[in-house]
Amino acid sequence: MVTSAHVATKPVRAIGGFFAMALDTFVLMVKPPFAWREYIIQTWFVARVSVLPALMLTMPYSVLLVFTFNILLNEFGAADFSGTGAAIGTVNQIGPIVTVLVVSGAGATSMCADLGARTIRDELDALRVMGINPLQALVVPRVLAATTVALALSASVIIVGLAGAFFFCVYIQNVAAGAFVSGLTLLTGAGDVVVSLTKATLFGLAAGLIACYKGISVDGGPAGVGNAVNETVVFTFMVLFAINVIVTAVGIQFTV
Amino acid sequence: MSADVSGGTHRWLRRSATDFATAWNRIGGQARFYASTLAAVPDAVLHYRTELLRLIAQMGLGSGALAVVGGTVAIVGFLTMTTGALVAVQGYNQLASVGFEALTGFASAFFNVRLIVPGTTSVALSATIGAGATAQLGAMRINEEIDALEVIGIRSVAYLAATRVVAGVIVVIPLYCIAVMMAFLAARFGTTAIYGQGSGVYDHYFDTFLSPADLIWSFFQCLAMTVVIMLVHTYYGFTATGGPAGVGEAVGRAVRTSMVVAAVEIVMISLAVYGQTGNFNLAG
Repeated sequence: MVTSAHVATKPVRAIGGFFAMALDTFVLMVKPPFAWREYIIQTWFVARVSVLPALMLTMPYSVLLVFTFNILLNEFGAADFSGTGAAIGTVNQIGPIVTVLVVSGAGATSMCADLGARTIRDELDALRVMGINPLQALVVPRVLAATTVALALSASVIIVGLAGAFFFCVYIQNVAAGAFVSGLTLLTGAGDVVVSLTKATLFGLAAGLIACYKGISVDGGPAGVGNAVNETVVFTFMVLFAINVIVTAVGIQFTV
Repeated sequence: MSADVSGGTHRWLRRSATDFATAWNRIGGQARFYASTLAAVPDAVLHYRTELLRLIAQMGLGSGALAVVGGTVAIVGFLTMTTGALVAVQGYNQLASVGFEALTGFASAFFNVRLIVPGTTSVALSATIGAGATAQLGAMRINEEIDALEVIGIRSVAYLAATRVVAGVIVVIPLYCIAVMMAFLAARFGTTAIYGQGSGVYDHYFDTFLSPADLIWSFFQCLAMTVVIMLVHTYYGFTATGGPAGVGEAVGRAVRTSMVVAAVEIVMISLAVYGQTGNFNLAG
């Protein structure tokens, strides 16, 4: 009876624990001392593991987008507008989504694995015994590192995606280069870029928080760490896609 | 001094040669693992049927905390629902800004099938059944359970890797149907119920432009993607090293490798299928 109640309330307690940790993290972010060293190391680490996969993931998706869009435009006889489609798709959707897939697939999984391995070896308890708050020393720099990298990466992903779309359209599908470039800003403006960067920042923050929560609440040995990483990937993807729809729906009221 | 410099250059050269050889050998090892896994598929289907059925059940429903949120089915359905809703949110508003919002139904039939569902399904599969396989196999590897299987005479590649590839391909069939349905329903609900377009207008353009051939190709794309995703994820699970943190890192590496490989695969299949004619006719 007691155990079944324990099992039934587990998801509720996990959600509560996540929000408690998120609030603690936000409070500790503005409270000195700030772990600069750890923040820089983590930022460098996340950037290093994310840049190459992000660029390799954005190329195929933006090529696929302009390819599908150009089939449609050729049918209308409006291939000159392929730049418009590339800009809408890459700036609004592919840029932030690819960034986040990579930041959560590459950065968040490593963070969760690292924190999880420390948790099952009781290193976090050892930190507490020494009077160091693990949230302040480990979680805050990691969450901020994921946020920083997501923001910085999304801009480069958009540039690379548009460049890939440009080369594909101009050299393979024979669209006029000038028409492609002048079509870019037809429907996409500064507002869309701001919404896109906002999305990437929120994604990075959410991915960092979920990864750190799953990492510090691991139990059950090595298999537990593997499962925690798996759950991190699933939960971050679900949260991110949900955030994406909501921010898109809100942002589009201001930009269209 | 000059001897120092040349010594340094020499060391640098030797180190990069070793790095290159290691990377090259890893690609070879990966290719060999994939070949032996695919070759072991008949063996797995014939001799390890019980394990295969267990894996199909487990992949469909998920395990641990993932089963609580509804398992793989619910996760894939949720992800494609959110991306299908994007067609309504982004497509309807963007088309309305050029006066074409009547064509949102067409956008759903065209972009959902060719672009959004294969892309989202690849991400969702790699995160759910793919990452789960890497985590399980990695934990078995570092606990030396895979060596134990070999010792008691079970062919570990057939028993662990080939069964997972087959189970993934079987599980993806219903998952694909759910993914497409959720994407279509979310786009229709968003356009007609939230943005207030007449459902007759939406359905007319949707029915006119939904092509069964596109759907079948999109389904085959998903099947091909699943094979590759499961192969990549079982490889990284099989070769995990370095304790609990190593398993986690193997999961991360597997997720990003399989996402990139699956994206390239989608593009290649799309170019092969639609590259020549586009398989699309606006005039009907």
